[in-house]
Amino acid sequence: MKEGGQERNIIVETVARVMIPFIQLFALYVIIHGAGGPGGGFQGGVVFASALILMVITFNLAGGRKRFPESINTLLSSLGIYIYGGIGLLALFFSLGAAQYLNYGFIPFTTLFEENRALAMDFVEIGIGVTVMAIITSIFFDLAQKERSGKKEEEGSSSWNGSLQKSLQNTTTGSSSSS
Amino acid sequence: MMIGFYGIIAKDNLIKKIIGLNIFQTAIFLFFISLGAVKGGTAPIVDEKVIQKGYVYANPLPHVLILTAIVVSVATTAVALSLVIRMHREYGTIEESEILKKSRDEGMTRT
Amino acid sequence: MKRLRAIAFILIFLLSGLFIYVAEDIPPLGDPMAPPIKSVKLFSMKMEQIVPLLNQGRIPRELSKELVKRGLPLPSHIEKIPGVKGEWDAFITKEEPHYAKEEKYYWIKQKGGEVEVSRYAFVVRWIEKGLKETAVPNMVTYGLADYRGYDTLGETTVIFTAGVSVILLLRRRSRL
Repeated sequence: MKEGGQERNIIVETVARVMIPFIQLFALYVIIHGAGGPGGGFQGGVVFASALILMVITFNLAGGRKRFPESINTLLSSLGIYIYGGIGLLALFFSLGAAQYLNYGFIPFTTLFEENRALAMDFVEIGIGVTVMAIITSIFFDLAQKERSGKKEEEGSSSWNGSLQKSLQNTTTGSSSSS
Repeated sequence: MMIGFYGIIAKDNLIKKIIGLNIFQTAIFLFFISLGAVKGGTAPIVDEKVIQKGYVYANPLPHVLILTAIVVSVATTAVALSLVIRMHREYGTIEESEILKKSRDEGMTRT
Repeated sequence: MKRLRAIAFILIFLLSGLFIYVAEDIPPLGDPMAPPIKSVKLFSMKMEQIVPLLNQGRIPRELSKELVKRGLPLPSHIEKIPGVKGEWDAFITKEEPHYAKEEKYYWIKQKGGEVEVSRYAFVVRWIEKGLKETAVPNMVTYGLADYRGYDTLGETTVIFTAGVSVILLLRRRSRL
């Protein structure tokens, strides 16, 4: 609402403009430093999504939607699982004799068996972080949409959603006419 | 834990029930992690200097299991909130007693 | 509504009492002098005379007979824990390629007039050998992504499914 409290908006807008890139950078730190200290994939993904939620709260919802269109969101949310399963398949492919899925030691990044595991774990954590970020963003945008009136979506009739709309209007008109 | 349980049972508003469920789950996580505490133990990150001084590590296994459980709790809350939005679109109200009254009056004429 | 609230209060009172009764017996919540949780006690036997054999590092015959009688695997060699007086470690060998060959399995203590044999929890392997097998210091990270990596794959699928189901429930036809 832009009518009242214009000064309050300016303070929040200025702080958000300064803080959002640093929050995203901190989220990348949390994902990658999951090996040396507290952190990991899930935690970093949630912190990354919270930066975007801060942007949507201070500015309007349409601006946030323009930066994160739906196609990129759906692409990113399945990319993380592809990375995870893909590294498992790579390990299956490279371990020729004893075929073991998700045993990262056989992927020849470096020459040692133990270093391979550390490097593959970093990739896996990045994949988890990307998926969690995209899914939480998608859930937030879906829950925060404003509800439109039910008259626009009457044309699409072959889905269960359209038939539910039709039956809802039928029963409401039926009950209002009977009562 | 009991605050969340009370919220699930005895509150009418659907969103208050969901918040009670979330509080309940958080209390269970805290209880489960506190079972893995070791007297005089430090955080479970392996360090050479810590081993030489003779410290003891806390049990890392409950942390691993609870991380999965936290994600399941987030997913459950998200789906429950979207179901509440659908119910509001159908019935026009969120109070549980009014929804029960409306569904009993109109019967099963929808499906 | 009043009846439901009364039932809720009574139920909560009873459940709180049950919870406090159960939580008192669990160590670190109730007992301040409990040892660290790292072993599960198997059995104890009255064999005082095998202690000098254990000190030399040989496996006594009565111990093997007792283990076989209960259906447990036999140890390969026994070592003394440095710094502590009456405790020993028993190792068994496992045939796994690329992993450490021997594993600590039994914990033998001398207590009073008896010798107590207990089994190490498998978390001990994470603590002792984790840095050597995976070059990652954080125990929780390599426990999630390496030793229990399959569970994390299912976990990512769970959160993906939550996002998909919210899309299915809330989006209308014209936007799909």
